[in-house]
Amino acid sequence: MRVRMLAAAAVAVLTMAGTASCGGSADDSGAVTLKLGFYAAAGDKADTTMRELVKEFTAANPSIKVQLEVAPYVKFFERLRTQIAGGQAPQVWLSDGVLVQEFAARGALADLTDRVKAVNAADYSGIELNKDAQGRVYGFPQGAQTPVLFYNKKMFAEAKVAEPTADWTYEDLAAAAKKLTKDTNGDGKPDTYGFRAYSPGFTESWWPIIKAFGGDIVTDGNRKVVVDSPQSTAALDWMLGAMGKDGFAPDYVTTEAMGKGVVHTLFATGRVAMSYGIYARTLPAVSAGVDFGVAPLPKGPAGRGNVAIVNSWVVSKAASQAQADAAWKWITFFSGEGPQRRWAELGEAIPINKKVATTALPADRGKAFLESLDEATDLGTNAVWSEYTEALAKRMNEALSGSTPVATALQTGQKEAQEVIDRFYAGQTQ
Amino acid sequence: MTVLTEETGKVAAEQRPPARKRHAGERIWAFAFASPYILHLVALAAWPLLASLFFSMTDYDLLSSPKFVGFDNFTRLFGDPVFWRTLGNTAYFAVLFVPTQTALALALAIALNQRLRGMALFRAAYFVPVVSSWVVVAYVADAVFNPQTGIANQVLGLFGLPAENWLQDPALVIPTLAAVAVWKGVGYMTVLFLAGLQAIPEDRYEAAKIDGASAWNRFRYITLPGISGTTFLVLVLTSIETLQSFEQVFVMTDGGPHGASELTVLYLYRQGFQFFQMGYASAIAWVLFVMVLALTLVQFRLQRRWVHYA
Repeated sequence: MRVRMLAAAAVAVLTMAGTASCGGSADDSGAVTLKLGFYAAAGDKADTTMRELVKEFTAANPSIKVQLEVAPYVKFFERLRTQIAGGQAPQVWLSDGVLVQEFAARGALADLTDRVKAVNAADYSGIELNKDAQGRVYGFPQGAQTPVLFYNKKMFAEAKVAEPTADWTYEDLAAAAKKLTKDTNGDGKPDTYGFRAYSPGFTESWWPIIKAFGGDIVTDGNRKVVVDSPQSTAALDWMLGAMGKDGFAPDYVTTEAMGKGVVHTLFATGRVAMSYGIYARTLPAVSAGVDFGVAPLPKGPAGRGNVAIVNSWVVSKAASQAQADAAWKWITFFSGEGPQRRWAELGEAIPINKKVATTALPADRGKAFLESLDEATDLGTNAVWSEYTEALAKRMNEALSGSTPVATALQTGQKEAQEVIDRFYAGQTQ
Repeated sequence: MTVLTEETGKVAAEQRPPARKRHAGERIWAFAFASPYILHLVALAAWPLLASLFFSMTDYDLLSSPKFVGFDNFTRLFGDPVFWRTLGNTAYFAVLFVPTQTALALALAIALNQRLRGMALFRAAYFVPVVSSWVVVAYVADAVFNPQTGIANQVLGLFGLPAENWLQDPALVIPTLAAVAVWKGVGYMTVLFLAGLQAIPEDRYEAAKIDGASAWNRFRYITLPGISGTTFLVLVLTSIETLQSFEQVFVMTDGGPHGASELTVLYLYRQGFQFFQMGYASAIAWVLFVMVLALTLVQFRLQRRWVHYA
């Protein structure tokens, strides 16, 4: 009876336990089947445009047959990993710029260095940002994102505050933000804020601010974490002041309570008069009918701290020669003027074709984005970007929520992020 | 008339083919009928389990071939402070969730175990959250616990109490998650308890009443022992479910704020599917499995002291 009970218990647990285990090529006629993957929400305009461009591409290249693999962002990359493991991955796919080196370092991507050499690099943005520490290129830019300062023209006019200029400093930003912060219902709490300082998306928050204050996050080929510095402390103190004693930015809790993704609508819904935002943030602002402008990031003691993410096309290392050639054909097609212009119409990314970028972006906003992109550095990408930035962001958020002193958070964050990087590059256990 | 003596019986028995041979045909049929289940067990349970055991001893990033590293992943695991923190979070969640849900489910079952008009409607109402997806529940929870607009803070305000940051405060996030989990899951356990209550013979209560037993004594000496088997089942199921919690935190907090609600399975998922560390994730899965098994075995052992199968 006892044995049977033990067995029953084991079977019950075993049955319920969740454990973690879990192409075609050219034929005789020269036709190639290419599996092309990209992430987009079903029915999204980007999905429709991409399908139309694929149709144009196959019409122009009848020997290439394209099979599409589309899924929303999280699902796409979750599935991609298992597809690669099972030899079922697309031969060419659109990668989030920060993930290119993660896949490349694990041998999943074809080295595009030689192919890129044949391209006139001066015609495209972002090629340099895609190089790894050894100067190799594993992705070709598809669209770029860089944060600039968004501002609500109507709120500035109502508060009689001069609009931001390219000469603005962090002091100017703070002074304007204080004037723009309003308690409209008289309950003693601001209802509209001058600036949004904290965001769970650090590209539009502490990363560029630390750099502007003279600090840095990673150096030495993005393998050495150097965030624990007096400059970073000054940057975080400025942010804490904005959310605390100066009170011109919503605090950590207010921002987090808005929920995943909703933080980006703070500007579009008029809750904040200014916000750092990448190019994709123009979409909700335009949809909401906000009369807005963009300006370069303000200058800190060490400049503006511009950063950029370059989403890129990558080619699977498992692709046959014919498939890799067809994939490269697609990449050069997509980078051409026509497709880039069509993609720019979506308004979700800065075109990487410089000729298109200078003419297709809205005249009043394009300049700030393009100048910012020209000055931008990469977002500390390396083989373990997702993991080390998560470790770091956790500590930074502790500091920005006020639950941990800035000095402790920076020290611990640097140590933990460095451990992640060292573990991978030292070739120790995973 | 034939008289069977002991001797003739023995001879007849010796002449018959042995039982194993006689039942051979039946055995084949038995296996044939059981084969779908056996195949299912091997392909979808045993094989993945063995594969994950193998991966737990490898450096495996999913994209390239696994490299055998012995017990390195387990060594790293035992020295990994984040793993221990997630385990602490999980244990805290379980300590709040399991007894609360069990007690509430029992109380609801007793309340709903009445022959009154419209009772089926109430029973169905408590079951609705069980069949709702966590995404839907997350929206409902936000309406209740949002620090600015949520009902919970409005209620506190009525009593002059300060507003709380339910899901943004590291000290409150796990109790809040446990409360939401209880709300979602209590209906299912209530149904189990209802079935248990209805299996207790009515004459026991009648006899107790005749003997002058109070309502409390009837509950203490008839109801509780009568549903002890159900209570045991509920405790085992809830404990296992809790230690494997993933979807709720994935949808509601993503482990935040600052990892305060990061449960072990969420940590496992991130290691395996976001950080390319399937070997390490498998090691976590196995350590978690052993813990769940140990807990279940302890529960099975202890049940002999308090579970009565009538």
